[in-house]
Amino acid sequence: MNNIVSCEDLVITYQSSNGPVRALDGVDLTIAEGETLAIVGESGSGKSTLGMAMGRLLPSEAGREAGRLEVDGMPVFDMARDDLRRLRRDTLGFVFQNPMVALDPTMRIGRQMQRAMGRRARAEDIHALLERGELDDPERVANSFPHQLSGGMAQRVVVAMAIARSPRLLIADEPTASLDASIQDKVIGTLCRLRKESGASLVILSHDVHMIARHADRVAVMYGGRIVEQGTTARVLGAPVHPYTRALLKAAAGHEKPGEWLTPIPGTPPLLTGRCAACSFEPRCSVSRDICRSSRPKPRTVEEREVLCLLAGSEAERKEVAQ
Amino acid sequence: MRILLYFLPKLIFASITMLGVSALVFLALRMIPGGYADVLLGPFVTPEAREAIAVRYGLDQPLLVQYLNWLGALFQGDMGVSMVTRAPVLDEFLRRAPVTLELALLALAFALAGGLPLGILAGIAPPGHRGGILARLVGALGASVPDFVLGSLLIFVFSVWSLWLRVGGYVSPIEDPVGNLRTMLLPALTLSLFGIALVLRTTRDAVLRVMTEGYITTALARGERPFDIIRLHVLRNSAIPIITVVTTYFGFLLGGAVVVEVLFSIPGIGFFIFSGLENRDYAIVQAGVLIAAAVFISINMLADLAYALIDPRVGSGRH
Repeated sequence: MNNIVSCEDLVITYQSSNGPVRALDGVDLTIAEGETLAIVGESGSGKSTLGMAMGRLLPSEAGREAGRLEVDGMPVFDMARDDLRRLRRDTLGFVFQNPMVALDPTMRIGRQMQRAMGRRARAEDIHALLERGELDDPERVANSFPHQLSGGMAQRVVVAMAIARSPRLLIADEPTASLDASIQDKVIGTLCRLRKESGASLVILSHDVHMIARHADRVAVMYGGRIVEQGTTARVLGAPVHPYTRALLKAAAGHEKPGEWLTPIPGTPPLLTGRCAACSFEPRCSVSRDICRSSRPKPRTVEEREVLCLLAGSEAERKEVAQ
Repeated sequence: MRILLYFLPKLIFASITMLGVSALVFLALRMIPGGYADVLLGPFVTPEAREAIAVRYGLDQPLLVQYLNWLGALFQGDMGVSMVTRAPVLDEFLRRAPVTLELALLALAFALAGGLPLGILAGIAPPGHRGGILARLVGALGASVPDFVLGSLLIFVFSVWSLWLRVGGYVSPIEDPVGNLRTMLLPALTLSLFGIALVLRTTRDAVLRVMTEGYITTALARGERPFDIIRLHVLRNSAIPIITVVTTYFGFLLGGAVVVEVLFSIPGIGFFIFSGLENRDYAIVQAGVLIAAAVFISINMLADLAYALIDPRVGSGRH
């Protein structure tokens, strides 16, 4: 199977007034054609940076410092401007977190859809695409301004716009975070159904591990600008190996039994200014050893998934799981 | 309907504002020392002569009566008679209005032609870009050089080297369009420098703000050309603050550019009000200020109408 995305040792740094901030600290990732990959992590883990990097949609203060990122065989960071524009238009489809921000408030939905579909799109085509996005009464929707729609409807419009040109890769950055809980599942369901119909790959960036468990083939857990654990959803979420993945699952609400407590992860994610020489999760890790403070973990395969933990699979780590 | 409901309160407020303006200008004029009698008869005026003039123009009556008389006449379309020329004030204003209008339109055109493109450029240029630096320079210069300084400088330069343009005086555009342009270009340019800076800075700030909006990222993500993004999204969404300052600026220009009109001896409304003030010709100044305020308020109402047309959220009760 071919890879739609391949990313090697990608380092991305933001220039801020307080000096450089390293958002991605060497990311290795491949996404196969037609698969649904979820990237999970707290805010600040670098997942949005990674998602936006796939379309080179990072703000101007962010730059690639090292590494390679290819989408559909094209080097995203070394492309001519027009080629990049064509890649975004024909190969990529983005769904953003907040549809009310992602849509132009002064332009009717139909016109914005047409911009996404191309000049030759007729009103019938726009209505048909809105219907594929499961919007009833597409005529009314096309005639509306964004503020006249509900959040769920607006997000369906954004989803429909993203698939307008049958992209090969859909990137959804927290696609349901701004929506009411009651419609989150429906909207993500629509997104996944449209992905299946088109055979595109889908990347979902989210912190909602339960939603991901239902929809993703594979999961990549990000922490401190690196992917600390990746593998099939069943392996990674069913039997996590990295201490961070385990902590993340314990902190996630949704499947706890009555009377059961959620365990927050103490501390905050690190703000890196340069290459992290140790394990970036070590300060918050409950099983850390001296070695975690002195050497940078390399990807290893443990129990059928790739993990960035010096202790994973070791005796000390097993004990913690047993507790 | 949405637009009507949106406008009704604005109309009521506008009427209250006009009433306030009329009272203020009436009071303020009578508080400045000296009167028409001093101007007409000189410093050695006798009390009897002063009294005669006061009686003749009704200035001997209580202030409130004078004010109400004036208001009553206003509602019948009578703005009074100039003490100096004895001509009805309204006719004098109507005669001068086209001159000020032409000057205002020219200055506005310069301000937009200079300010808009430079402002957009400054808004989208990456840091350190040459166009952005030029725009910033023009913005700082235009906002800090007063019109009488620039006007005097231009008068000095073009009096020495004519360079086709003419300094001072006024030629009717109907009789001699080219000659009219030759005299009007310099004052219009003087007036517009501040406008250029104003439009430039407002446009730049508005564009900078819009460029960080999510829908710009969306447009980039669907592969739009930069030119289309500016045309479709940036201009429309940054229009409201730009329209606000442009209309305020235009209202200010229409109220008569006193300094520039006096400097270049242009017989417009500003010059007229200025000489009316010098002569303590109350009717002229009162009517002039009232007309300027009415024009200013009307133009701002037009701007409000433009907001409602540009942004569908305005007046719909949902922001």
